[in-house]
Amino acid sequence: MKSNGMAGQKVTSFLPAGFLLVVMLPLMILPLAAVFIYALQEGPKTFMAALATRDALFALRFSVIIAFATAAVNVVLGTYAAYVLSKTRFPGREQLGIILNLPVAIPNVVVGTSLLLLWGPIGILGKFLEPLGIQPMFTAFGVLLAHIFVTFPYMVGAVKPVLDDLPVTYEEAAYTIGASRRQTFYHVVFPALRGGIITGALLTFAHSLGEFGATVMVSGNLRLQTQTAPLYIFSQFEGGNIAAANSVAAILAVISFFLFSLILYWNRKRESKKAR
Amino acid sequence: MKDQDINRFSGIRMRRSVVRLAAVAGGLAVVLWTIWPWLPLAKNRQSRTMVIYGFAIVEKTLTKSIFPAFQKKWKERTGEDLEIISSFGGSGTMTNQLIMGVPAEVAILSTELDMQRLYRSGVLKTESWKRLPYGGVMNRTPFIILVRPGNPKGIRDFDDLAKRGVRIVHPDPLVSGAANWAIMAEYGAALRKPGAKEAQGKAMLLGIWRNVVSQAGSGRAARTQFENGFGDALITYEQDIIATTEHHVSTQEAVYPRSTILSEHTVTPIDKHIKPHQRELIQAFLDFLWTDEAQLLFVQDGFRSVKERLNGANPRIGVITDPFLIDDFGGWGEAKRNIIDRIWKDEVLKELKS
Repeated sequence: MKSNGMAGQKVTSFLPAGFLLVVMLPLMILPLAAVFIYALQEGPKTFMAALATRDALFALRFSVIIAFATAAVNVVLGTYAAYVLSKTRFPGREQLGIILNLPVAIPNVVVGTSLLLLWGPIGILGKFLEPLGIQPMFTAFGVLLAHIFVTFPYMVGAVKPVLDDLPVTYEEAAYTIGASRRQTFYHVVFPALRGGIITGALLTFAHSLGEFGATVMVSGNLRLQTQTAPLYIFSQFEGGNIAAANSVAAILAVISFFLFSLILYWNRKRESKKAR
Repeated sequence: MKDQDINRFSGIRMRRSVVRLAAVAGGLAVVLWTIWPWLPLAKNRQSRTMVIYGFAIVEKTLTKSIFPAFQKKWKERTGEDLEIISSFGGSGTMTNQLIMGVPAEVAILSTELDMQRLYRSGVLKTESWKRLPYGGVMNRTPFIILVRPGNPKGIRDFDDLAKRGVRIVHPDPLVSGAANWAIMAEYGAALRKPGAKEAQGKAMLLGIWRNVVSQAGSGRAARTQFENGFGDALITYEQDIIATTEHHVSTQEAVYPRSTILSEHTVTPIDKHIKPHQRELIQAFLDFLWTDEAQLLFVQDGFRSVKERLNGANPRIGVITDPFLIDDFGGWGEAKRNIIDRIWKDEVLKELKS
């Protein structure tokens, strides 16, 4: 598709960008820079040493694993939820959509507390599981549960708009030539969704990597067992180890930057495909 | 012409596949690095673990000195590699998490008050800290005042904290053990004066709390705020000051009040979380805490040992003319009811709000 005349053309202009930079400098860019300045304050050696401690390495690894697992679960669950919400009609559909999006608005600490009060040893259901020796809270599984909960809307949010835009005629065409529901999903719906799913998965991964409020409640903050990178950062900061805290924070910031670059890349690819 | 076009096209293709290959390889490297410690070929599997919940101030001494010393002892005794899983935070926060069911086997809390909460909530079936040496008290440290270098506000004792224009950073008594100790130090210091009664104690609390500008979640967090340049004075553990002033000589100065409280940090096993095969290990750890070796490690980091003869080992431990203990107020149960809840919370805070 060619650009449609002057209206769609973007003029190169530095003034608005410069203004944005001035506004954003104290709001976002300087605070981010401070993380790196403090992380590297005592030299790259201290920075590396702070990262090489067993606790820091564990926290980073654990965070990455949880983020992978969260993304994997939500790719399946979130896509399914988006499909149901977009392609089927049932009473209460809109209300369900709203409920699924609530985690964005609820403070994550509340999510953590409610999980504890449900599954914890003194929780509504946990009370009955405790004597059986089943205890999901204060374990990696508990952290995973919390992360699935708080990141769920991002997956649905990335996939559902694509599904909503997907013309029904494609699916109908597939049905008319005798494709089953499953075949239609795999060969018609899924390929169209790929970009949305990847974007959703990356968003989920990024949010899981940075999650704090719910994790601090359900993990018990046990180092070398359930302590994620954000919890490690908080503990180190509380303990006055500013350099150690900021070293891990800097790594998280770099990872996030890459993740969001990837999201941008995928979106652009999708756009250009659509344009063709 | 056509050949050139094709060449260029395949060049792009090639570059694309190289980029793709690099991305896949990079992704795989990250995955491999991430799961490395859990791969069966990495032979650092630990055979034993122990879970300890502690309050903020003891974190450094435990993780840097006590744990390694005990791990060495345990290895000598049994040949097992011991891994200690730990978590640290404000004493009240840790207590709340323990009540929510965190599977800790040993708890080290700032005040006996939090132990009593564990007991009342059923986490402890008996008052199990009392069966340990020294009633479960692991070490002590007085509450003293930290000021800016050169003491610009002229603070010499708790009275001076009530002066106009002094900005105090204080931990939050709702979640911090240090804050409860600090209130007892403030109130008690006023009461130790000849002829002083409850009214003098209350007046002291009113004066000091009028000047509180920030309440942090733990004694440690309050210290971090103060270190970052906030406030004129901080009431905190002497130990925390001794253990960390080496790095911060230029930003703060310690003031020793004439009389102040010696905080007593309490340990308990959490029997219902200790599986039978863990009992020997937990008991060995508890026994170790009161050996001269462990007590000296505490003294080195600025704590006062419960064995007073060991305290000479650290020349930086200061002199308190008139120290007092929580037992002088009838123990924590009584002090909490009568002083923290009634005088501080119900009277002082309400008067300050109105």
